[in-house]
Amino acid sequence: MSARRSVCDEIEPDLLAVATGEASAGAIERVDGHVATCRSCRDELGHYRAVDGMVGRLRTIPLPGDDGTLARAELMSRLSDLRARLVGYGIFPSPLGRVLIARSEHGVALVQYLHEAGPPSRDVRRLLGEDAVLDQSGVESLSAELIEYLEGRRARLDWPLDLSRMRSEFQRRVLEATAALPYGAVASYAGIAARIGAPSAARPVAQALRWNPLPIVIPCHRVIGSDGALVGYAGKHVELKQRLLAVEGVKTVTARHDFKVRREAMYTLMNGEREYCVPTCGSLASQPLSVLTLFGTRERAEAAGFAPCSSCRPDLHPLVA
Amino acid sequence: MAGSSVSRPTPSGVSTGRVMAEDAFEAVVAAHHAEIRRYLLRITARASDADDLSQETFLRAFRAYRALPPGANVRAWLFTIATNLGRNHFRGLSRRRRAYALVAQGATEGAPERADGRVVAGEARERLEQVIGTLPEKQRVAFIMRKMHELEYTEIGASLRCSEESARAHVFQALRKIRRGLEGHL
Repeated sequence: MSARRSVCDEIEPDLLAVATGEASAGAIERVDGHVATCRSCRDELGHYRAVDGMVGRLRTIPLPGDDGTLARAELMSRLSDLRARLVGYGIFPSPLGRVLIARSEHGVALVQYLHEAGPPSRDVRRLLGEDAVLDQSGVESLSAELIEYLEGRRARLDWPLDLSRMRSEFQRRVLEATAALPYGAVASYAGIAARIGAPSAARPVAQALRWNPLPIVIPCHRVIGSDGALVGYAGKHVELKQRLLAVEGVKTVTARHDFKVRREAMYTLMNGEREYCVPTCGSLASQPLSVLTLFGTRERAEAAGFAPCSSCRPDLHPLVA
Repeated sequence: MAGSSVSRPTPSGVSTGRVMAEDAFEAVVAAHHAEIRRYLLRITARASDADDLSQETFLRAFRAYRALPPGANVRAWLFTIATNLGRNHFRGLSRRRRAYALVAQGATEGAPERADGRVVAGEARERLEQVIGTLPEKQRVAFIMRKMHELEYTEIGASLRCSEESARAHVFQALRKIRRGLEGHL
């Protein structure tokens, strides 16, 4: 080997290519010519061919641990989880400003007001998750329905919902109770707490609604303070709550930095009853809001399945606007 | 909203486009999972690492799949993801130490030559595997992609972020070292 000439060094890459079957026609010719006269390179070619043969056999030998069946089954299950979490979202203008809607395989997962121009804030991106993709056309029909709703031309959003972004079981219960509030009705935070069997949890209820991932769809705007004040909505945007309620026929008066629902202007239902009343019927006026549901109009109370009270007869003696 | 069920959503409203992409991805898993896992098994030499890294390869691929241009070489793309994950895997110090320990063990054990100069085929194969295990990372990975999985040099270059020529040079350099390592076994 020590006596190898420089021509041997030059031909070495071609020799390797020939041995591994990757050589060009020119390289084959060069190597053929050289090994005809150079014995050490002929031997070397033989060695490399032997190496290539061994390597080729190694490829065909079964590999210890080469059973990926379980790994693949686990992968399929992870993929199915990932698919369920994967959301597509779109952003569009609405009467209440820019709104983002995101949907997953299971349903609508997120509705967010975008109060500022530009791309979604970091908070919204965190809610969307790292796997979110812009899919404007995928939420187009949803946005059309939402706009109809915000313009008062539609009273229901019968969307499949994906509640996987709930923070806790408590929040899930709060949102389910809130989702059951009829169109055009309001109840208090303490009232929602009572509905889920946790009557002293008015504040936790308010917190749970503050992080409602699906405002409008899950109508947290229908939940108000015990004194009728709207309290808060979408950060510092209580005016959006007032507008949503106005669309549904719930009138409010302005209060200091807030709006207020006046109980004396609302048809009143004692929770659990089948009939709705004028607010002065019987002892209703002295009941806490937590045991009542208030309706802005008789039509809304009746659309929700309630009949006029047979003693105070709100149908014969409607409230004056 | 009254009466709208929030308990059990249905997947009915999913756009057709995404459903198609997902079905296509299941076909990608079916076609390539076994090979990608085998590749990672060759690189890491541990079934549990091959499980984890092949899973991660396909989860990453799934997230990026929709952005892949039509007609892209999916197999080579999967090898690129798997190669990056495999190389990152060895970047941790403790793992590197473990790999060196493995290599050192292989080097001292060697393959004892028989008195008559012949070795049984099994011994030569063990020696070959040991030598492959001692190759520098890029050469080893390039060699495995080329010789065990028959990828093109352009594809290997894409995986290792180098040119086609460099990819070929890595493989040939690996072959030279293997040739020297098998001295006496050929």
